[in-house]
This record gives sequence, structure tokens and C-alpha cells, in this order.
Amino acid sequence: MGVAFVLAANEGAELVRRCRSGDGAAWEEIVQSYSRRIYNLAFRFTSRADAAEDLTQEVFIRVYRSLEQYDPKQGDLQNWLMRLARNLIIDDYRKRQRAPQDARAEDIEDHSYHLRTSENSAQREMERAEIGRQVQAGIDKLSPDLRTCVILRDIEELSYQEIVDLLKIPEGTVKSRINRGRIELAKILKRMRVVEVTEV
Amino acid sequence: MLCTEFEDRLTDYLESALVPDENRECAEHLLSCRECHALLDEVKLTVQACRTPVEPTAQPVGLAARILARTAPPAPMSCEDFENYLTDYLDGFLPAPLFHRWESHAADCTGCADLPGQVVRSIGACYTYINEELAVPAGLHERILQATLGTTQAEAVRAPLSARLAEWMRGWLDPIVSPQFASVATMLLLAVLVLSNTISTDGSISGMYRATVRLAERTYSRNANSPIKGVQLPADGEILPEAIPAALERNAPHQRKDDGTKPNNPGQKKDK
Repeated sequence: MGVAFVLAANEGAELVRRCRSGDGAAWEEIVQSYSRRIYNLAFRFTSRADAAEDLTQEVFIRVYRSLEQYDPKQGDLQNWLMRLARNLIIDDYRKRQRAPQDARAEDIEDHSYHLRTSENSAQREMERAEIGRQVQAGIDKLSPDLRTCVILRDIEELSYQEIVDLLKIPEGTVKSRINRGRIELAKILKRMRVVEVTEV
Repeated sequence: MLCTEFEDRLTDYLESALVPDENRECAEHLLSCRECHALLDEVKLTVQACRTPVEPTAQPVGLAARILARTAPPAPMSCEDFENYLTDYLDGFLPAPLFHRWESHAADCTGCADLPGQVVRSIGACYTYINEELAVPAGLHERILQATLGTTQAEAVRAPLSARLAEWMRGWLDPIVSPQFASVATMLLLAVLVLSNTISTDGSISGMYRATVRLAERTYSRNANSPIKGVQLPADGEILPEAIPAALERNAPHQRKDDGTKPNNPGQKKDK
């Protein structure tokens, strides 16, 4: 999901090894492989292209400095890298929630969405893109706690246990927030007349 | 009539179910047997006591309430609980009693009836959103490379020569040292060693066996004419053939007597 191409487990380990020895091309390959997914994750939390871009860059700088800590025995590169990215993005999101907001989320309609499914008709693609924009708008309206849990569960598709590990909160709280977040999102999307017209 | 026969017929006698002759015999027995008469009276009293109606005792306290609690329809679920259990319901984790109460609420409450469908459609919309990807903004890759490598030309950043050399060696060695190619590599190595005469066709290194035999022959022939302990040399120095086996047997008792070895016959030794 959300990745142009995913490196095989041993391929990722090999790339990291080459990066450690100072091979710039290997690092470029890692950036190209995962920047899109990390950028999209950042955008789902920030709803701002410039903030998502800065956050993606920050994630990669942190990854580059942490390459020595990567151990292929403890999981493939994608899992390690996405775990690091989620931690940083959620930390950043929490910080921004505590800090006063000086700018609202920009109008997400300004963004051009890339559609992976090329076989659909143009009309269908436009509908899907519209749903995507409205879902993001609906998620933006959720409270920070509910928003984090809904994104991690229903968009990032993490398990309850992974969310517990990531957010360091009890499983009961995670389940309760996901439940409440889904209900709130459903009501928001209903008010936005998204779910009525959606064929699921 | 014996007492045991009367006991067998006692119930029939009481109920007047006996044929006249048997009935008369029982009556005669009762007149003559005090024990059976007493038994008949006890049985009559017992049957009479059983037929007397008994007033029921007072009903236990709370019994009716307990029965109603177990048989009455379950209490309706509140809308708040309905929402709280929604995800568990969708995930299939609700236990049976809650499951039925939840479904009853969904069917009866007009305010909540549409909620499950809305949530399912909302989750579906999220899954649709998963497939909608923003393209990476132009220039982001270059910014990342600049911030990490110090240049946007990643190809120009190359590993040190030693690292590249190690990389090159690894590229060659990896297929060989991998378990899949171990047997092939072994066969190739063996072939090279045979072709280069490092290993002989008999399996030894550089004909070691043949060299050993040659050395043994040479050593044997050199010492063949040396005096053997226990053999008396004649004056002309020639050893009598019949004296050798006995001498060998004395010197080496573990050797077989019928060995037939001719110490002065190197050719025979070599064949062996």
C-alpha cells in the first residue's frame, strides 16, 4: 500500500550495508523507495504540503543518522523505517497540538492526487480522488487522539498491538479511541454527504 | 397358605383382585396368623396416609422474582453502550448475550439504526483513501539528498576504495560460499587438483601411496642382506632359507607361521 515499489528484505539490508560504507547511490535508492509513503503519512497528519515535505525531510535525516542502528535480524528495512517515521510524525503531531496553531490546514483541493489505478475511467478516478479529499477533510475534524488512532488503524492498517506499542497507551484506550473515532468520522462524512454516495 | 404366599398376594387382596378361592385362602390365613394380620393393618394405614391431601408449605422468598429474572426479555441496551460496542460488533468480538442485545437495539432504535452502516461506509471510504496517493513534491528528493549527503549528485558520493574492493570480493564469493553451490564448488576444486596432478587418480595427494611403496621397496631391498637376529650366518655369509622362518618366528611371535615371506625375495614383497 502506498509504495511505488517495495524492496525485498535482503535487498534492504544490502542497501543499508552499502550506505554505511558511504555509497551515495544506495542512499538515493532508499530515499526514492520510501519517500512517497512517508510523505503521504506525514500529509495525513499535517494536511499541509509544506509541513509534510519538511517532516519527510526530517524523517530521512533521522533515518540517515540512525542507519548504524538498523539490524536486519530484527525485521526488514521497510518495517524499521516506517516505525521510525511513524514515531517522528506522531511526536511532531503531538507537539503541534500543544503549540498554538498559527495557520490552518491549507486547502487540500490544491493538491493533485496520484491515482494508482489506471484502468478505471476518468470519471471513476475523479470520484475516488474526491472521496480521498473528503476523507482527509473529515479526519482533520477529529480530535487529535481520535485522529491518530483512526489514521493508524484504518489508513495505516496497524494492528491494535502495534498501535499500543507505538502510542504507549493501554489497549482498552486504543480500542475505545478507534471506536469513538470511527463513529465521529462516520457522522462527519455523513454530514459531508460522502458516505451516502460512496459505493463500498 | 404360607406367610410369604400371603405377602405376595397382599396388594391384590386389598384391592379385591383375587379369584374367590385365593381370596378365601388369604382370609383363612389372616384369621390364623397374627403377624400377617398386623402387616395387613399397617399396609392399609400407609395407603390411607398417602391418599390424605397435604397442605403445601409456604413459597420460598424471592423464587418468583428469580424465575422472572431468568425468563424475562433482556434489558434494552442504551444508545451509549450501543456505540461503545460498535467496533467490537464489527470485529466479531461481542459475546452472545451482548451480541443479541446489540442487534435488538440496532433494530429497535431509530436514532442508532443507520449508525453501523455509516461506520462501515466510512471505513470503506478510508480504504479508498489508502489507494489515493499524493505524488512526492518536485525537488523533495534533492532536498533530502542535499541535507544528508551534502550534494544532490548521489552517484558522485562513492564508498572508499577498500569498501568497494570488499564489495567486489563479496560479489564473487557470495555465490560460492552459499550452501546451494557448496557441492558444485567442491567438485570443481577436486577436478582442478586432479588435472594439475596435485591429487593422483588413486585418491592420494601426489601419488603418496605409490611413493610410499617405492620407499618401502628401497628400504627393504637395502636391508635384505643384513644379518637377522637369531640366525646363524655360515662362514660364506649365505643364509640358509630354512633358517629364516624360525628366526622370524622367534623375533616376531605375532606373525603367522604360514606367512611364507621370503626375506631375500623383494619381488614377492612388492607384490604383497
